[in-house]
Amino acid sequence: MPTWPKETKYIGRHVQRVDGPAKVTGSARYTSDVQPEGWLYGMILRSRWPAAKISDISLEKARQVPGIKAAILVREGERTIRYYGEELAAVAGTSKQACLDALRLIEVTASPLPFVVKETEALKDSSPPVWEKSPNLSKPKVVEKGDLAKAFGECAAVVEGFFTTPVLIHHPLETHGNTVSWTDEGITAWASTQGIFSVRDGLAGNLNVEQSKVRVISEFMGGGFGAKFGPGIEGALAARLSKAAKAPVKLMLTRFDQSLAVGNRPSSFQKIKLGASADGKLLAYELDAYGTAGIGSGGSTEGGGGGAEFPAPYIYTIPNIRVSHRGVTVNAGSARAFRAPGHPPASFGMESILDELAVKLNLDPVEIRLKNDPSPVRQREYQLGAERFGWKQKYHRPGSSPGPVKTGVGCAGASWGGGGGGTQAEAQINPDGSLEIRCGTQDLGTGTKTLIAVIAADLLQLKPDQIQVRIGDTRFPPSGGSGGSTTAASVSPAVFDACTQALEALQNQTGVADARGDNWKAACKKLGINPLIVGGKWQPGLSSSGTGGVQFAEVEVDADTGFVRVKKITCVQDCGMVVSRLTCESQVNGGIIMGLGYALYEQRVMDSTTGVVLNPNFETYKLPGLADVPQIDIILLDMPERGVIGIGEPVTIPTAAAIANAVANALGVRIGSLPITPDKVLAALGKTQAAHA
Amino acid sequence: MKAFQYVTAQSVDSARDWLGPRASYLAGGNDLLARMKEYLADPDLLVNVKSIPGLADIEPGDGHWTLGAQVTIARIEQDPQIRKLFPALHEAAAEVGSLQIRNVATLGGNLAQHSRCWYYRHRDVVCLKKKGPTCFARLGENKFHSLFTGNPCISTVVSNLSIALAALGAVVLVQQGKQTVRWSIADLYAKAWDNPIAHHSLAHGDLILKVEIPVEPGRSAYGQISEKGAFDWALVSCAAAAVFDDGRVKQARIVLGAVAPVPYQVEAANDLLKGKKIDEPLAARAADRLLAGAEPLEHNGYKIPMARALIQRTLLKLMG
Repeated sequence: MPTWPKETKYIGRHVQRVDGPAKVTGSARYTSDVQPEGWLYGMILRSRWPAAKISDISLEKARQVPGIKAAILVREGERTIRYYGEELAAVAGTSKQACLDALRLIEVTASPLPFVVKETEALKDSSPPVWEKSPNLSKPKVVEKGDLAKAFGECAAVVEGFFTTPVLIHHPLETHGNTVSWTDEGITAWASTQGIFSVRDGLAGNLNVEQSKVRVISEFMGGGFGAKFGPGIEGALAARLSKAAKAPVKLMLTRFDQSLAVGNRPSSFQKIKLGASADGKLLAYELDAYGTAGIGSGGSTEGGGGGAEFPAPYIYTIPNIRVSHRGVTVNAGSARAFRAPGHPPASFGMESILDELAVKLNLDPVEIRLKNDPSPVRQREYQLGAERFGWKQKYHRPGSSPGPVKTGVGCAGASWGGGGGGTQAEAQINPDGSLEIRCGTQDLGTGTKTLIAVIAADLLQLKPDQIQVRIGDTRFPPSGGSGGSTTAASVSPAVFDACTQALEALQNQTGVADARGDNWKAACKKLGINPLIVGGKWQPGLSSSGTGGVQFAEVEVDADTGFVRVKKITCVQDCGMVVSRLTCESQVNGGIIMGLGYALYEQRVMDSTTGVVLNPNFETYKLPGLADVPQIDIILLDMPERGVIGIGEPVTIPTAAAIANAVANALGVRIGSLPITPDKVLAALGKTQAAHA
Repeated sequence: MKAFQYVTAQSVDSARDWLGPRASYLAGGNDLLARMKEYLADPDLLVNVKSIPGLADIEPGDGHWTLGAQVTIARIEQDPQIRKLFPALHEAAAEVGSLQIRNVATLGGNLAQHSRCWYYRHRDVVCLKKKGPTCFARLGENKFHSLFTGNPCISTVVSNLSIALAALGAVVLVQQGKQTVRWSIADLYAKAWDNPIAHHSLAHGDLILKVEIPVEPGRSAYGQISEKGAFDWALVSCAAAAVFDDGRVKQARIVLGAVAPVPYQVEAANDLLKGKKIDEPLAARAADRLLAGAEPLEHNGYKIPMARALIQRTLLKLMG
């Protein structure tokens, strides 16, 4: 069984991003920067109706616009539209303005249909069905264990609560999009994607082209959190436009488009009942939940389910449970995997009701978790984190903070699977001593290139910047999609194997006993003319899965204005062996900031009367800004013996729950609805004046 | 956006001459260009007014300061004398958008900007303010909307500067036809109170030239509450200014923002303060007078306690 070196110079340490200079100087080429010879802009016409029968779409006038080279329909014939923003047609032209002008000249003949966009309305029998043949509210999916009624009867304390979480929109800074060139030779697509091979296979399948004739490139990309696996409708449209126009087409979605149709995190409405013995041991749990994944249960995703279900009772093992999940269909864009699918809403509901129970039993929230959390890793993390955070000094009875600006603390835990596999890599050693590592993975911005460089550098005793890392091209050895926090655990062992085998081959071929470090150049020179190319693949024993993490939050809440400020988050996270410490910590920061958005700011707002998304921009779809970001204190639980484990998803899970618990601790009343905005705080405190009848 | 032509005016007269029925003045462009991109505005001609001599000056004076309409918000925010003399204006300017926005946004543009109501701003919604049949916010998503209005549209004034300038008793010089008229801030927005289409009282072709702020021997303050810590619109804002005589209020103005289509003032609240020392109970009674008659809708009732807290805090800030 292979093992990672015990002594390292780069692995586990702070190493600058190898592509940092390219990114900050702008020389890094993202999909939106690619400009192949003769490229055209592409744009999509979307439905203005939340539901409609489309009987005809005329592209004639659009085609007459100067500069327009192609105009196509998404689908021929009559069709039914089921949400505002659904794709109808697309154009390609020599300028953005030509495309915009053309879109406005496309004539759509439509008969509007009744629609419903809110979960609470779609639940009702009287609501218009989104799909003709099935009701909006699905049959419940029920899991039962033990004897619930009896168990609740035996509990010393029982609490009940209702918790809601909103639909979140996928808003990576780089929107979804592709630049596609389709010629007789085949298709080349520059894609902003989490999976170059899934984009290749999607394009090949959709467009009936052999996979060997489709090449997908994603050298740099500006973020993907579960919604960028396949080519998407926009990718297929870009390809079809390219074929029709006989030119490469760049079709990047606008921020407006992004708000409508590229997937989202489902909402949840959770009625929870929880009971425990007098000493706080959880005995009985009941969940009745529903939520919406929009018009469907999720688009093409590899990172996990896009449905509205979530794990319950989340990380706890409770002997008597009844869990019921229902999906509610509404006329809105469908869900896709969204950074740790299911887990953030699960954590919010469960950790919130658990704190209510702790209050009722007069137990410290950390104590009740230590009593019930089955994970030895999180047990350690709670103790470590509580010490570092100063939990004992900071925790007080809920609502006992004096003055108008109240302080509070809260905590929450999370788990994630992750794991790796299915990746190949190759090392090319050139006679001049330069080294190239190639792998068909992609870097979402998490630092995959740096991770590869760090591993190769340590194994070969070189410097990270001596290594040319090439990824993001389907011509390189294959790797899987970057979802489920699997990239680091998939890529690292393959790179390990490629480097180890390449070193062995180099030494065999040149007779140099140890070709590493100072001997490297001399050994490479002995190769003669041809470079040495050695392939490697993922090996067991170098990575694993299953992580636990806990977070502590400290907040200030202005009880007069309802304004919440998060002062500090302490995160204790297990991620096995840390490869690149800088980018690993960067992942933690990003996950926590995203969790902060879930806690306090973000939500998709639908309008019942018009059926539109009311906040399709960053003005009213509110993301955390610099002024909102708290002090973030990170403790990585180094466990090199476990090998590499991904960290992308687990770190965003417990943030919102910890913040919500801290707000409840500050105020003495709980806001069970995310995001916790000032209006909800004032309402919970009973200060809000009711509407005039 | 629709194609348009562009001219730069070198004088107020030439700006007016260029401004035909299908033209718009262009200053910082933050509001206008965004509306054009969303096809909410489609002028044939943009008349750049940024180069008109004298309109970008800050002119100090003993009796009053004069700020040109083309002075950027960043300059207002960063001017040390403004900060000292008119703290309410400084504080309001510092809350506008982001630094990038403040660097290009102008005083005149801030005062003349259109509603930010998310129905009004939506490209596919034709609401009452866009001459449609109905105000969707009334029975819809009205969390950011008015507590007070004289018309069926419930969008609010969002200019931070207007709230501070109203408290400071500023006068706005507006070129109207061949003459320059002097308006109070109340005059500048009066039309928006009872006309659902109006964002302010400016008619097509009217141009804000300057704003005069009287130098009063008193104190002023501004505060706002937003959902985010920075770069966010006010849910409620409040400005107050007062002149004191031996610790007692000689005259005072309190103004609320984001609760009405106009900077919201109640004379009875100002009168209440006269001759008294500001303390918590007095501030609470002033808040009662300002908020009397508020008509909360389904989602904006929180603005009443929020405004109450802001009024009290802003008034107490005047005491130093």
